[in-house]
Amino acid sequence: MRRHSMVRVAILALIAMTLILPGPAAAQQKKLVYWTHWEQNPDFNKWFETKGKEFAKKTGFEVEVVTIPYQGYEAKYLSAFMGKSGAPDFYNGMTHQWCGQYDFCDKMPADLAKTWDENLPKYMMEMGRWQGARYGYPIEHGNFQMMYINVDLFKKAGLNPDRPPKTYDEWLPAMKKLTVLDAKGEASQVGFAIRHKGHPVGITDKFLPFAHAWGARMLSPNLDKATGFANGPEMVAALEFFGNLVLKEKVSSLTLGNPEDAFGQKRAGVIYRESWFYGWVKKNAPEVNFRIYALPCGRACPGAGQLFPWANLVYKDSPNKQMTWEFIRFISTAKDDLEQHQLQGILPVWTANQETQYVKSRPDYQAVKDMLAQPVPPAYFHPKSNELATAFGEAVVGVLYGKGQPKALLDDAAGKMDRVLKD
Amino acid sequence: MRAWIRLILPANYMDRQRRAGFLFVLPAVLFFSSVFLVPLIQSVIGSFYRTRPGGASEFVGVRLYEKVFTDSTFWTSVVNTVSLLSMSVPTTVILAMAAALGLNRIQSLKWRNVWAAMYFLPFSASLVAAALIWQWIYDPVYGFLNYLLSAVGIPPQKWLQSLTQVRPSIAVVNVWVRLGFDTMIFLAALQSIPGEYWEAAAIDGAGAWQRLRHITLPLLNPQIIMVCILELIFNFKIFDQVYSTTQGGPASASQTVIMLLYDTAFKYFRMGDASVMAVFVFLTLLVVTLLQWRIFRKPVEY
Repeated sequence: MRRHSMVRVAILALIAMTLILPGPAAAQQKKLVYWTHWEQNPDFNKWFETKGKEFAKKTGFEVEVVTIPYQGYEAKYLSAFMGKSGAPDFYNGMTHQWCGQYDFCDKMPADLAKTWDENLPKYMMEMGRWQGARYGYPIEHGNFQMMYINVDLFKKAGLNPDRPPKTYDEWLPAMKKLTVLDAKGEASQVGFAIRHKGHPVGITDKFLPFAHAWGARMLSPNLDKATGFANGPEMVAALEFFGNLVLKEKVSSLTLGNPEDAFGQKRAGVIYRESWFYGWVKKNAPEVNFRIYALPCGRACPGAGQLFPWANLVYKDSPNKQMTWEFIRFISTAKDDLEQHQLQGILPVWTANQETQYVKSRPDYQAVKDMLAQPVPPAYFHPKSNELATAFGEAVVGVLYGKGQPKALLDDAAGKMDRVLKD
Repeated sequence: MRAWIRLILPANYMDRQRRAGFLFVLPAVLFFSSVFLVPLIQSVIGSFYRTRPGGASEFVGVRLYEKVFTDSTFWTSVVNTVSLLSMSVPTTVILAMAAALGLNRIQSLKWRNVWAAMYFLPFSASLVAAALIWQWIYDPVYGFLNYLLSAVGIPPQKWLQSLTQVRPSIAVVNVWVRLGFDTMIFLAALQSIPGEYWEAAAIDGAGAWQRLRHITLPLLNPQIIMVCILELIFNFKIFDQVYSTTQGGPASASQTVIMLLYDTAFKYFRMGDASVMAVFVFLTLLVVTLLQWRIFRKPVEY
């Protein structure tokens, strides 16, 4: 008798729970989930939620933004996409990885793709595309390195901040003048804040402007070969120059920690960083008096190009993918582009916004224009770009730490990269 | 088959007892199977397949084993891991033993507990948080350690940014984190040894060193073996500290096997290669643990 009562109670409890708890489908039905690892741009991300409320009035679908920490974001994305549960409807990622190496992206509807193709600056056209098809849209303009100079340190070193070095022949003497050594011969202030820490992919990214200025490229034009390019004579010369900044000329130091911190602490006269860095300095080191210029030229003048082409993509197995495309269509206007980027203090993407008052008043306006006027440097949007950049970056950092000569380390890296490409 | 039927439909008292025992261990078996055994089997299977997440898998036999085991980067990471654990494991075990012996001599229970808690505190800290604190301590420009060194006239060191100092520096963090845990195990074991053994040895004229060598250490043999195995596993699987401080740098000098495995799986998206590494780590730890167990373990009776 008692056993029967227990069974009845258990069945009733189960029925009650089923009625009380909403099904997962019902909970997600009215929400589009967006994942981003752009933790440094919270206002930009939040804008999607604000706009989602407007969108909800028409469709009933709001937008929820989930910020994933940048360090290790790939693991989180991958687990969700492979598990097919808890995955976002749309997300910030690189097209050649998530749509190329993987198959996690939905193709953009043709009319929307046309809108984006007609409104992007020329150098950004391939961002969000894979093998000719558009999967997503680029979210950031000015994601290429430019030269930030500390005006006060320039003046102190007897340099004219209005006439920054235009070539590497002028640049190196200027870096020497900016460098201050202590009694023990260690740099207490450096000319150039060099990236030497962190993952080799980031180190590759920061070295490539030098490589491109020397006329080198990391991979062959059709991205199928590294030997002869990653270890070509131009690349060897560029890496020798880069390594000597630390080893011989001592205008850069490995003891100063992050280059951004060194610049913010007025311990470095020059840093190469992207457009967003202007907002970072304003926020974290407001007392630093800086200006932004186009990168100096070597054999070539490196123009606007990037290793990390961030784009917003739609998950192909999302149950809400049609509605997600509708939301993207809803926000694909010049007005929204300007509003969202201005909110965060970063550069808008649409060509129509490049001459607005907001953009013109920015300190990087002229530098961006100058960079855009220069030839577009090689792009490496290969599905295995992370692995290739790691092998290459290990050679770069190896030179900085005196592990070997540039030629030998680059030969080794090129061999590894070819194996990765063939595999 | 009959045993299973009798487990479901017990015929007598002994069957019911067996069923009760089975039901008691069932949750643990299910938990370990789903959390450890299934992923392990998946890793072994995955190591024979080239997988394209979101796409098709292709059976490639032992090709991925050949590829990983002929890759110099993999062996560099193995050497780095072994070098790191060869510094961390003996240091942690010896220091923990010394700390436990010291704590065991404190007569006041209150003070012994206070000291024990102090030793144990780092173990309760998050590994990432501990690593970040140590990153600041090691900072070549603003670090506390260089500040202390400069006070006694020693020039600043590069610590985590030096090819030669990075592994010893990380080893120190490991020792700091693990010391308390090992000390507690040794202390508990020391307190369970009857005091008469030491008293009798002292009466027979044995000195402190002889008592330690011939009484304490042999009686602690099971705990020493267990701590060594735990430390070996912990240090072989080191990830958090490296990931949050050096990310394997500078110039791959602190790249460990698990760091490489993580990068291979989640940065390079090569699940098959990463599975090979996971199988390697599992088999290495299994073999070393069994060897340690068989060679060094001696039966202890009080």
